[in-house]
Amino acid sequence: MSAAIIGVGQTGYRRSFPDKSSRELIWEAARLALEDANMDIDGIDMVISGVAPDALAGEASVERTAMLGFGKPFLRINTGGVTGSSAVFAGNTYIQARRARAVLVVGLERMGQATSSQQVFNTIFDPVYEKDFPLTTITMAALRASMLMRLYGYTAMHWAQIASRSFRNAMRNPLAHIRKEVSPEDVLNSPMLAWPIHRLEACPMSEGACAVVIVDKGMVGDRNPAWIQGAASITDSYAMGDRIHRPGATLVDLLSLKLAAKRAYSQAGVDRPREQLRAVELYSAFSSAEAMAYPALGFCTAEDGPRFVEDQFVDPSLPVINPSGGPQGANPVSATAMVRIAEAALQVRGMAGERQVADVERAVATGQGGATQFSTACVLGKQQAA
Amino acid sequence: MFEDVYIEGAALEFSWADPKRSLTELIFDTVSNAVNDAGQEYDGIDSVVLAAHDLVDGRSLSSMVTAPAAGAYLRDEVRYSDDGAGAFSAAVARIEAGESERCIVAAWGRASEHDVEELSRALFDRIILAPLGLEELHVSAMNAQKWRINGGDDSHVNAAQQRRKAAAGANPRALQQGGFRSQPAYPFVEEHLPLWADAVAAVVISPRPSRVRVKGIGLSSEPYWLGDRGLAKAPALQRAAERALYEAQIGIGEVDLFEIDGMTLYDEAIALEAIGRAAPGQGMAMLAQDARCNPSGGSMAGYSVPAMGLARIVEATLQLRGVAGGVQQGAPRIALASGLSVTAAQTQTAVILEAV
Amino acid sequence: MDLVTIEGKWNFNYTYFAGESASRFFHELRENQRIMGTRCTKCAKLLVPARAYCDVCMSKTDEWQEVGPEGTLETFTIITTAFPGLPTPPIVMAYVTLDGADTALINLVHGLDLSDIEVAAQKLNTLPRVRVKFVDEPKGRITDFSFELV
Repeated sequence: MSAAIIGVGQTGYRRSFPDKSSRELIWEAARLALEDANMDIDGIDMVISGVAPDALAGEASVERTAMLGFGKPFLRINTGGVTGSSAVFAGNTYIQARRARAVLVVGLERMGQATSSQQVFNTIFDPVYEKDFPLTTITMAALRASMLMRLYGYTAMHWAQIASRSFRNAMRNPLAHIRKEVSPEDVLNSPMLAWPIHRLEACPMSEGACAVVIVDKGMVGDRNPAWIQGAASITDSYAMGDRIHRPGATLVDLLSLKLAAKRAYSQAGVDRPREQLRAVELYSAFSSAEAMAYPALGFCTAEDGPRFVEDQFVDPSLPVINPSGGPQGANPVSATAMVRIAEAALQVRGMAGERQVADVERAVATGQGGATQFSTACVLGKQQAA
Repeated sequence: MFEDVYIEGAALEFSWADPKRSLTELIFDTVSNAVNDAGQEYDGIDSVVLAAHDLVDGRSLSSMVTAPAAGAYLRDEVRYSDDGAGAFSAAVARIEAGESERCIVAAWGRASEHDVEELSRALFDRIILAPLGLEELHVSAMNAQKWRINGGDDSHVNAAQQRRKAAAGANPRALQQGGFRSQPAYPFVEEHLPLWADAVAAVVISPRPSRVRVKGIGLSSEPYWLGDRGLAKAPALQRAAERALYEAQIGIGEVDLFEIDGMTLYDEAIALEAIGRAAPGQGMAMLAQDARCNPSGGSMAGYSVPAMGLARIVEATLQLRGVAGGVQQGAPRIALASGLSVTAAQTQTAVILEAV
Repeated sequence: MDLVTIEGKWNFNYTYFAGESASRFFHELRENQRIMGTRCTKCAKLLVPARAYCDVCMSKTDEWQEVGPEGTLETFTIITTAFPGLPTPPIVMAYVTLDGADTALINLVHGLDLSDIEVAAQKLNTLPRVRVKFVDEPKGRITDFSFELV
């Protein structure tokens, strides 16, 4: 691998930006990323846009309202929740293929224009066999959370503690949508959405845009890079019911993330993830979903998951999870997986301000899409991978 | 570039409202056909690159159900909400980058399941353009009229349409029954319009030498606002073709087969000028007289966004292999295929293929 | 100066072709009150609901076989908050592996006392056996049946 992120731009995330059109949000994120990269749009060879469900914005192909630069190659990716990371990976691919030296990747979420997201999310499910049910991102997470509790001994308090930790971290992130102190008790007292998930364990509806500039190693110069050491993506089968009886990788064994992480780690030369990855920007739209990522990322076994949660609060040697606050702090769906990579890049570059974790030599960012069907893993580091 | 990329297998199906098959079953069939055409079954397939649009498929995040139908299970799969030729370029990049050794590319659109006009209207800016009820077809119509105003030689339009119709009739892959045509807008008549169909196209690519090699790829884009674009000139296609020809190290004169994506007959004529195959104003004459320009019958053989760029690539591939059937144009050596995206051909991809 | 907002409705019409396999699955629900699976020609798993191909093997299915009428609950949730466009809570939704099937199927579960959600959740955590229950007038849709505790 021979590409690095040298610029990051984020508009910040809120329920809505009533004073900005969609194209203005895209331009803003792109402008900030180019400034950070100390580059001009003319130096960019290609633009890749990540926009997920059009229905959340209520605009079809909103990405095309904002061409950046003149006449550049331009493609849009839509892979649901992993969109932001798929777009970064595609930029990396064009650079590795030597079809571009510098790629600008932009993700826009415009769900501020939607009245309700769950009705839209219901339409991601198969219209023939499943859409008649109240299947939503909430209920599908709940189906998993109840299984995790039964199999591994997680409790409601574990979910609440994870949520509370995310909110606390978001307090140090000026870009986050939700910035308030929330105790585990507050979480448990919040309304139950679908057992066992409480409202404060779910992510907010956020909008905003995120952009990164990726360049070939020859263009890094004396800029401050976050090297892409590993990048991998795996797609699982659609039907959750098919995964329940899959030997070795049932519904809550996040096989697609495990395989993606394995490949990304191998590319990056990571063989002791718990020690080598100081910061983890983890895509979990619900606090309980984090639990599936721990064993997939090699931090602990599934059975030791509850213990790993408890240890996070007392053991400073463990990787710091979601120092940005994660999706709990802001979930601009199309961009969220890119935000994870952007935040991991800031950590590696020492530019994360108040939320900076000390001594981040390497960080990992994950993405999840569909009903844990699509998983991505991206390892960033201060050094180029060997 | 690192290494050459070859097309090992190709398949294309146009159908209409087949109640026996769901969308995923249509995709499964064409991807299976492309894999069978390539031989070696799924051995070594490690990557899947798709082109499809949620609003066409009628599902938010349609790739949840459709990606597995295209062979994505436990593989590195990505779905572009963009034209199939653009997705093809991304797949080629994966092979060149050393990320994949054998990749499926698939694109589809099932016009019989959605309202194509309703969707086309939704593409336009909600604040300023949507209240006008604008559709992509209207943009094509305005481009066509501008071409005529600019002095485009319209005297061959009937001959071009007749040739196109005969080609579609002779193309074994064309849709012969069913399909949908919109109401024409001036200056179009019905036969100039695309035949909306249920389309699935698929190829298998790899760095292993096969019968067709990818020789050059180019992409470009135009501004969003229609008034900022070069009307009747397809500048994004012009630049994309220039870039592809530059990479292939050839001139347009060395290309002997063209499969150019255009929504209507006039779009195809204008495109031939944009790529330099026809002189300004002479695109329609070229389309009438040169059977090697869209021998498939173009948009009359079947049309569905965003599959068409990949459908053009498949038709070009079959021509280069000499297996295009009733529309085979001798023994072409080099083909140029193109694909355009929403909104109203705002971005274009040009691909140059060579018979090995 | 006012910031302009414009109201809009996002409403697209679709006609989804269920295809022959799903149509036959629905036909069996309506005419025979049977739940059918199909077997992959390569891995031999019985896939429920019935489908034309196995996406793991990328192979067609052939044999049709009835499953149930009883099965085991695999995981569940209890929906407690209403969302626009979706049914009124509380509702129990669960994945159930019907006897004979190699995959689990999602549907609603009836017959539980939902006055205390935590108690109901603990009961469902014991992974009880369930039975398929058909509506009085099946229409040939997935909602023709649901599950109830045995």
